[in-house]
Amino acid sequence: MLRTDINELLTQTGPGTPMGGLFRRYWQPVLLAEELPENDCPPVRVKVLSERLIAIRDSEGNYGLMDEFCAHRGVSLWFGRNEQGGLRCPYHGWKYDYTGQAIEVPSEPETSSFCANVKLKSYPLVKLGDVLFAYLGDPAEQPPLPEWEAYRVPEGQAFTSKRVQECNWLQALEGGIDSSHVSFLHSGNLDSDPLFKGSRGNAYNKADLKPSFEVVDYEGGLLIGARRNAEEGHYYWRVTPWVLPNFTMVPPRGDHPVHGHFWVPIDDENCWAWSFDYHPTRQLTETELEAMRAGKGVHSANDEAYRPLANKDNNYLMDREAQRRGETFSGIHGIALQDSSLQESMGPVVDRTKERLVATDAGIIKARQKLRKAALALQEGVEPVGNRPQDQKVRSVAIVLPADQSFVEGIGEAMIAKPGVPQTTV
Amino acid sequence: MSNLSTPTGGCAEATTAKEAAFRIDYPLSAARNTRVVALDPEAEAMVRRASELEWGQARFFSVADPGHTLIETTGVPVDLDEVLNDTNTVVLVAVEGSNAEAVSTIGAACKVRGIMTAGLVVTPGALTSEALLHLRPHARILLVPADEDDLVELLRATRA
Repeated sequence: MLRTDINELLTQTGPGTPMGGLFRRYWQPVLLAEELPENDCPPVRVKVLSERLIAIRDSEGNYGLMDEFCAHRGVSLWFGRNEQGGLRCPYHGWKYDYTGQAIEVPSEPETSSFCANVKLKSYPLVKLGDVLFAYLGDPAEQPPLPEWEAYRVPEGQAFTSKRVQECNWLQALEGGIDSSHVSFLHSGNLDSDPLFKGSRGNAYNKADLKPSFEVVDYEGGLLIGARRNAEEGHYYWRVTPWVLPNFTMVPPRGDHPVHGHFWVPIDDENCWAWSFDYHPTRQLTETELEAMRAGKGVHSANDEAYRPLANKDNNYLMDREAQRRGETFSGIHGIALQDSSLQESMGPVVDRTKERLVATDAGIIKARQKLRKAALALQEGVEPVGNRPQDQKVRSVAIVLPADQSFVEGIGEAMIAKPGVPQTTV
Repeated sequence: MSNLSTPTGGCAEATTAKEAAFRIDYPLSAARNTRVVALDPEAEAMVRRASELEWGQARFFSVADPGHTLIETTGVPVDLDEVLNDTNTVVLVAVEGSNAEAVSTIGAACKVRGIMTAGLVVTPGALTSEALLHLRPHARILLVPADEDDLVELLRATRA
């Protein structure tokens, strides 16, 4: 259980909150590149960390992310005209460039310098791979661009999707850290999902349903090692990295692409679940891409607003017959929806004073502790981790090791992303 | 395959923020019967400091090989079997990696009784150690490297 004040500290990410301050020290994925597909395309509303913003791509291909509302009368610039060199408010014609700088105020005399003094709050927005990342923090503290391998591999080797999850970001993150739910909730998918099936690791998974765990503290966050019995005198390890504040990866299976998530707060009661797949050394096949687009693996089938088609309004298309047959453990189809249905059922912000944690929740306990300490330390001027290139060049690992070997020693440099080097997988 | 996206009563849908505030309020069940065991002198100092905080039903001990007897922080020896009779979680704390036989004794006794075991390997700056190797076969979950805060946080979070 957690005290109310600590629960609030961890779950509130709006401007001026300690956790909001921490999040604002990291580049965060905010849009898929497909949402701003061409120069002068329609603007897109972006809500992130409880801030309402508008994203544009101007005539020169510059990406901009600024306050959603016109400085004049507060009209939403989503209604704006994205025309030559900027976004024009349809109400009185005020026009802004991609940095939020007003460049035309038609009601002012032509020689007026009024424009120069009007600038909307704006943030840098950059394209990496198929995703646009934004930095909402103090410009003086802006970290280097993200080095996540999923966005650094050659074109064609990565695929990213996003979906709305109707609960606080921490509930979603905790699902990513909590490896012990996999043996139950996702047990039906190992043999059927085209993005998982056929790996030797699946056999270890199914033969040992009671994994043991090691939660290893490391500089960027935590490594959570799930240990299962393998051949005599050996363990099968699945190692999940969590990098502060909201990045997790799933250990690989066979030659399938590696996948992972960012859990990005929209506001305190909703988040984006970003899901990516990539292969470090080869192009994704058309079959794999087709499966990802169809919502297999860690992805979901969504509507145009990126809300899953199976959602709380239709009880996630719960299939009791499939549940009874054991085809799915929870009756919900798809890994992503299996997670979000249960996490949303906890309520928008779960009351952690009422939970009954057990020792196997040590990963979650430790992650909460690290987040709280990082948010409070930042207020004292201590730089956070997780926003440095060395923290982000990380990989998940699946490996068989001798029983007497430490998994950290055993995986060695396998957890470090190196261009052109395949993932360590079983 | 029938797809039972059944129409449901209004009460069956996911929780809203407003509804969440009105979840039935009742006291949480009794704290777990957690026993914390220090496996070496340095760990003992840590466990002793933790024992001075306020806990529900947690009890704190040290142990030496072969591990059939635990020592309360007051210095009173207690038979391991007696301690484990009313226990559902055992937290083992190690710094040095000594008393490996005691770890095995406690681990085996817990396994027979179906008691959840957790281990804290307090080795600042080191990710591998003798203590880790001794604890691994006997702990369902290990924190590596743990610090003193982790012991207190784990006990608080599990309402020990």
